[in-house]
Amino acid sequence: MRLHEDPAAFEAFYRRHVDAVMRFVVRRVSDPHLAADLTADIFLAVLDSADTYVPGRGSEIAWLYGVARNVVSAQYRKAAREARAAGRVAGRRLMDDDDLARMEERIDAERRMRSALEAMEGLPEGERAVLELVAIDQLTVTEAAAALGIRQVTARVRLHRARRALESVASPSAVYLEGQT
Amino acid sequence: MSNFEDRLLSALKDEITTRTAEDRMTTVTPVRRSRRRLVGLSAAVAGVAAAATAVAVLTGLTSSPAYAVTTGSDGGVSVRIHSFSDPDGLEAELADAGVRAVVDYLPEGQTCKQPRGERGGGQGQFATSIGKDGDGIAFTIEKGQVPAGSTLVLAVSKSKEGDDQPPFATALEVVKGTVAPCEATTLPVPPPGSGGTTERKDDGPGLDSGTEEQGPSLNTQNG
Repeated sequence: MRLHEDPAAFEAFYRRHVDAVMRFVVRRVSDPHLAADLTADIFLAVLDSADTYVPGRGSEIAWLYGVARNVVSAQYRKAAREARAAGRVAGRRLMDDDDLARMEERIDAERRMRSALEAMEGLPEGERAVLELVAIDQLTVTEAAAALGIRQVTARVRLHRARRALESVASPSAVYLEGQT
Repeated sequence: MSNFEDRLLSALKDEITTRTAEDRMTTVTPVRRSRRRLVGLSAAVAGVAAAATAVAVLTGLTSSPAYAVTTGSDGGVSVRIHSFSDPDGLEAELADAGVRAVVDYLPEGQTCKQPRGERGGGQGQFATSIGKDGDGIAFTIEKGQVPAGSTLVLAVSKSKEGDDQPPFATALEVVKGTVAPCEATTLPVPPPGSGGTTERKDDGPGLDSGTEEQGPSLNTQNG
C-alpha cells in the first residue's frame, strides 16, 4: 500500500473510511472543533505510518482503528497539538458553519456510545481497549486484536473478562451488548 | 460540493505531494513509537506542511465562545477563558497571536506533575485575575514575556461544578525549551485553616499561594 506516496490511492482509501473515522472520533470527544482536528490528525498519522500496514495481516479498518486509537489517546494529542500550533494541517480550520453543524449532529448521534465508554473507564486498560473496539466500534475480535497488536486469544480472554466485570455493574451493560448485534 | 471532508482530502493530498517532493524525509513514522520521537518528527512535518496548509486554509472560521484572545496595540496578548473546554483551540489561537502555549485542563483536584521544563522566559509578572461568578480567568502576556523558544504553560484544575465554573486551581508558568507532556497528578489540598493559605470567598474556590520548589500549589504564576 503506497498511500503516502500516491494521492489517488490515498483518495480511494480516504473516501472508503472518512465516515467511519469521524464516527470513531465523535464517540470519544464531544467538542466539534477537536473532532475535526483529530479526524485530520488520524489521516496524517495514516500517512506517517502507511508503511506499517501489511495487507494480508488484518483488515484495513482494523489497522486504521489502531492508528486512530493512538491518535485519540491523550499522549498523542499533546504532541499533535504542538505540531498543529506550528502550522500542520489543522482540521478545525477546514470547517465552515455548515460543517460545524453537521459535526455537532454526529456528536449528538453518538451520545449514548460516549456514555457507554465512560462507564467502561473503571476497567483495566487492556480489557477496556478490546471491549471498546468490539462493542463500541463494531470490530470483530480478530480485527480488534490486530488493531491493538495483540494475539487473538489474548483479545478473547480480555473481552471475556471485561464483559464479566461489567455484568456486575447492573444497568449500563445493556448498552454494550446492544452494540454487539 | 465543498465541505469539511473534501477540504481535508485536498489538504492531505497536498501534504502527500509536499512530502514526496521533500524526498520523503518523513517516510516512516509508526504511530507506536515513543512520544519523544513522535514530537520530533511531527515538528519536522510541520515545517513541510506549512506550505500545503496555507493553500488549504480558506474557509470561514468558527469562533469558540470558550475563550477570547486579543492582541493589544502594545503587542501584549490578553486572554480570557470563560469555559475550560477547548485547550487545543486556545493553543491554536495563542499561536496565531504569536504565543506558543501548552494548555491542559484537568479534573478537579488534579494538576500536571512538576517540573514541566526549564523555567525561563521574558521579564515581568503576569497580570492575572481569577474571575468570579463563572467569569472564568483572565491574564495578559506582555510583549516579550514569552520569547521565542519559550512556551506559556497553563494547567487548570477544573471545578467539578462544570467547565464554565471558576477553576479549582490554576498554574501558569513560562518554560524555556521543551515542555514535558502533562502527567496528571493529585493536587494536595491544604486542609482548611492550615498556615500559609487564605480562603477568600470572592475568588471562588481557588486558593492563592506562593510557589516553593515548583510544588503544586493551587494558583501559581511564574513569569
